[in-house]
Amino acid sequence: MKSLLYQCLVCLLLCSAVSARAAETSQQTVSVHPEQVQLSGKRARQQLLVTGLNNKQSIDRTRDVQYQSDQPAVVQVTSAGVIEPVSNGTATVTVTDGAVKIKVPVVVKDFDKQTLIDFERDVHPLFSRFSCNGGSCHGKQRGQGGFQLSMFAFDPEFDYGALTKESRGRRASPLAPDQSLVLLKGAGKIPHGGGKKLPEGSKYYNIMEQWIAEGATRSVAEAPKLVKISAEPTERIMQPKTKQQMVVTAFYSDGSTRDVTDLAEYMSSESVYVSVDEHGLVTAGSLMGEASIMARYMGNFASLNVTVPSDNSVTDDYYAKLPRNNFIDELVWDKLKKYSLKPSEPVDDATYLRRVAIDLIGRTPTAEEARAFLQDPSPNKRERMVDYFLEQPEFGDHWANKWADLLRPNPYRAGIKTVMSFDNWIRRSFHENKPLDEFTYDLLTAQGGTWHNGAVTLFRDRREPEELTTVVSQLFLGIRLSCAQCHHHPSEVWGQDDFYSFAAYFAKLGRKGRGISAPISGSEEMIFTANSGSVRHPLTNEVLPPRPLFGEVPEIKENQDPREVLASWIISPQNHFFAEVNANRVWADLMGRGIVEPIDDFRESNPPSNAPLIKALGQHFREQKFDLKQYIKTIVGSYVYSLSALPNETNVGDTRNYSRHYRQRLRAEVLLDSVSELVGVPDSFAAMPDNSTAKQIWTHRVSSDFLDSFGRPDPNQDPPCERTTDTTVVQVLHMMNSRDLYARIQSGKGNSAQWAKSEMTPDQIVEEIYLTAYARYPSIEEKRLGRSLFEKEGANRQQVIEDLMWALLNTPEYLFKN
Amino acid sequence: MKNVSKNCNGITRRNCLQLGLGAMTGLGMVDLLRLQSQAKGTSAAQPKAKAKSVILIWMDGGPTHYETFDPKPEAPVEIRGEFNPIATNVPGVQFSQHMKRLASIADKYTIIRSIRHNQGNHGAGNHYMMTGAPPRIPVGCGAFVSFHPSMGSVVAHEKPTTNNLPAYFSMPSMSRSGGPNFLGAKYAPFVVSDNPNSKNFRVRDLALPSGLTDGRYETRRELREQVDQLKRIKDKVAGDPVLNLDEYYDQGYSLVASTEAQKAFEIDRESDELRDKYGRDSFGQRALLARRLSEAGVPFITLYEGGWDHHGGLFKALDKRMPAFENTIATLIEDLDERGLLETTMVLALGEFGRTPKINPGGGRDHWSNAMSVLMAGGGTPGGQVLGATDKAGYSAVERVLSPENFVSTIYTKMGIDPDKVLYTPEGRPSHLVSDPTPIPELFA
Repeated sequence: MKSLLYQCLVCLLLCSAVSARAAETSQQTVSVHPEQVQLSGKRARQQLLVTGLNNKQSIDRTRDVQYQSDQPAVVQVTSAGVIEPVSNGTATVTVTDGAVKIKVPVVVKDFDKQTLIDFERDVHPLFSRFSCNGGSCHGKQRGQGGFQLSMFAFDPEFDYGALTKESRGRRASPLAPDQSLVLLKGAGKIPHGGGKKLPEGSKYYNIMEQWIAEGATRSVAEAPKLVKISAEPTERIMQPKTKQQMVVTAFYSDGSTRDVTDLAEYMSSESVYVSVDEHGLVTAGSLMGEASIMARYMGNFASLNVTVPSDNSVTDDYYAKLPRNNFIDELVWDKLKKYSLKPSEPVDDATYLRRVAIDLIGRTPTAEEARAFLQDPSPNKRERMVDYFLEQPEFGDHWANKWADLLRPNPYRAGIKTVMSFDNWIRRSFHENKPLDEFTYDLLTAQGGTWHNGAVTLFRDRREPEELTTVVSQLFLGIRLSCAQCHHHPSEVWGQDDFYSFAAYFAKLGRKGRGISAPISGSEEMIFTANSGSVRHPLTNEVLPPRPLFGEVPEIKENQDPREVLASWIISPQNHFFAEVNANRVWADLMGRGIVEPIDDFRESNPPSNAPLIKALGQHFREQKFDLKQYIKTIVGSYVYSLSALPNETNVGDTRNYSRHYRQRLRAEVLLDSVSELVGVPDSFAAMPDNSTAKQIWTHRVSSDFLDSFGRPDPNQDPPCERTTDTTVVQVLHMMNSRDLYARIQSGKGNSAQWAKSEMTPDQIVEEIYLTAYARYPSIEEKRLGRSLFEKEGANRQQVIEDLMWALLNTPEYLFKN
Repeated sequence: MKNVSKNCNGITRRNCLQLGLGAMTGLGMVDLLRLQSQAKGTSAAQPKAKAKSVILIWMDGGPTHYETFDPKPEAPVEIRGEFNPIATNVPGVQFSQHMKRLASIADKYTIIRSIRHNQGNHGAGNHYMMTGAPPRIPVGCGAFVSFHPSMGSVVAHEKPTTNNLPAYFSMPSMSRSGGPNFLGAKYAPFVVSDNPNSKNFRVRDLALPSGLTDGRYETRRELREQVDQLKRIKDKVAGDPVLNLDEYYDQGYSLVASTEAQKAFEIDRESDELRDKYGRDSFGQRALLARRLSEAGVPFITLYEGGWDHHGGLFKALDKRMPAFENTIATLIEDLDERGLLETTMVLALGEFGRTPKINPGGGRDHWSNAMSVLMAGGGTPGGQVLGATDKAGYSAVERVLSPENFVSTIYTKMGIDPDKVLYTPEGRPSHLVSDPTPIPELFA
């Protein structure tokens, strides 16, 4: 019923496109994968993949062609292209697509051979296929009903033990196979929380039963081991609403291969655009977009990258003529060309100015800055303005404020003086524009007292090697290892070995002095490198030597702090993750969206929206020696950065390819500092000197209703803290009704009072307000409107200014970076 | 087939063509689909719809079923735990020892002992029970995820208030999966973080600053409209955040203008005696505030109460917390009943799952989604009923096994919302409110 409804709508929307495609399919050539098939044993199968060509693009024909076996007594073939053996012999399967016929020779051997079932090859995969070992079932830490399996089958030894040795052998009893608990429960003959997974008599039930009957052995002598898996195809451009079969092949140590399409698990990175079912059948949605389809089989991964193009038509010539300020433009245009998206128009000077000021120094431009820039006739005035902003001390505070979000702990936990000292260290680094690799190295190798070298606070706050592993890998590599602390990462290669070997770099951390004694934690603590210390694997209890996540294991010299080796590895040119995650973090701040999103979750199953671009940005950042200012200059100097947020006829739906600018609500501190600029009265904060800006606050514990309303990280939560970027009705009410803001707008020390008392004409006042709030001159109508307020009968000059300020503060043009 | 025809009813061929045209030019398709979804009636659900309002007491972390509504005195000691069962005022029904006040009014509500699901971590469990949809991809324990609109947001979408009050409240914070998802920011909860137990309780920024006259406020409001020149990107697929801001300004203005809204927050209009009865702590007073809000016409109020993830020290923690907590729930039910509001106001108390049978070495219980207990009162829910059962040791729901989908469908049906209704995402994807829209008949008196 539901699918019908769905199709009904889809038809309404797409019928014209479908018929157009159908008419063109006659001019295609067809190929079949694999070209020949060998089936060994009665349980073998082979999914065929039939590919046609249409307008130079490969399209899947697997379910659209006819199959015929010339020897039905040897092999049979389903309408979905699956070949299954019936007896030994040879046969030919003919694939017919219109006038085209392709013959696929098939050999069946060992059909009657009583091959023994191998645990790892035949049985173990079933627990993944039927989701027995997921995190909500037997895969979770204490298992389910006393029966625990390794999550996603990463530990065959453990799972074999769980099946055969625990529970007094009742789970798999070779003497009475059909009385084995795994079959009774699996088939739902006795109550099973997970339901009926293996119906009695089904193919996989029979495999499990036979394995038990054969003695439930760990492994058959000389059974080949799984080496890798591959997916076919690996890349496709799929028209909306079309389907694509995937074929997943397992490669074994003896050189043999096996079709495991039916045993693999599938996941889509973006099921809105492209979805996949449990048979590896991929379906493109109706929207333009991209997704990576991941197949997982026994801890091995293979993927298919799918692009669903838009139906715009734009000539290649159009892209050739687009301006290119630097490599960013080139790479973004390449991507837009792929989708036939046109970039939006560039913004005017005023919008660029406001955008760049907010991005670089975290406040809106002053009226003076705006005037100077807008009146500057020089052709390179944008570049000059950027250089000017990069030299402002607010640059350091703004970027330190962002990094403080990621690193700075709650002072009630780590100690007030300690956190101040850490904040100070972070802030100084950004004021000095310390290269990011140096910043990282200094932080990760920090030694000394928490009151003297703030950087060591990281090691006071996070006391266990495991905690440090999680935060360091996420912040500096964009690799989220936290899953691998307890089990194999569900969509990546990382396992517990990797996690604890990485953690071992922190094993020799020594601490002296009073540790955390919340809620005051008032003492100083020394962090140093101790002589001993090790990390053990939680399951095997084996001591793990330090090992990085990939690449060669660098040597640790005697008496060397292992952290130095780790830090060098992290920032080394061989490690592209470090450069890319940091390049992405800054890019996301400036452009409104990360190329990889979430910004610090780099993995194959979460592909970047523009892979060449993130590579190039990472490389560029490294070439600039991780000079943040130079890197930012490159981004804001690109043509892409200057694009308008307003869409054209092709790109309204583009929210990830940077064909237009993505609006962002101003960050809490940025907004508050900008408001202070407009009202002309600084806000005051507890535990801060007078005239401090919000960006200079050393802890989120300093109370501020304004900052709370607009969102700042909760220091009680585990960093890296995310802040809300949404708008809420609470924020709106605060801007409208906050008593504090009301008082600041009408303060006798503020701009409203000063301008009211001054000689300024209404026009001048209106201009001053617009320049300060929006970084642009008021239009003629806006001036007229402003003037009329002053000219109203009984108008009070100061009140008019207050009302106008209030009105502008409450518009989206003010609250957003446009 | 009923739905197909219903959906296509009323759309003429010409409308269909327009729909197609809109899709091709990429403009307005979503709005059309949304209009269409709004035009679809919910008549099938009407006769059973008695409830006008839901107060959802969310015990985040997953409260134990053993030590609340499903004691297992016959089970071995490592399962039954330290607490004893007590009798309730319904013959044959027993609760755990701390549930005294609720036990004395067990004839006023139903306890469901047989909801179970397969999401054993907080992020996923929260999502499943709060939206009726399992998370689409594996999510972590600490996650705050949203793949589908929450019950509160759906109710706000379907049953808007008529008096300017927000239709969905969450106190004292947003709940994990309590967001609107594709319905959009307009249907996010209004969060009241201020503590109604504090002496000077007022909802921050709701009233005009003193000194600002109504006339001047009006001037400012008009002026704001005039100076607001920023172009909006109307097409929803663009995801322009400015559209959300516009919705919030509308909501903000309405709230400020609404005297009813302001009055609903004046908790000191309640007698000291009643306030004492609810309990002079933040949860007690929030429950009372929730009653005031539901009286004022708010259809969905979430009381988000964390701290039920008792992996260790379970019994001591409950000794300390449960008496006051369950007293507040009991008082809320009684108070609504006395005012004649229980017939139209639902009270729900639950978390994301139950807890493991075997007490762990730390004296706690771990996550367990095979069994949980849910309290449901009001809105035509029968009193004195225990629905479904777990096995002898409380491992698993075995009798009348129910899903989160059944549970959420029941709430929607009682609120007069068809759980089979199709809503559309901004991309135009159809999304059923609940994938299995079968309500639980035993919960309709």
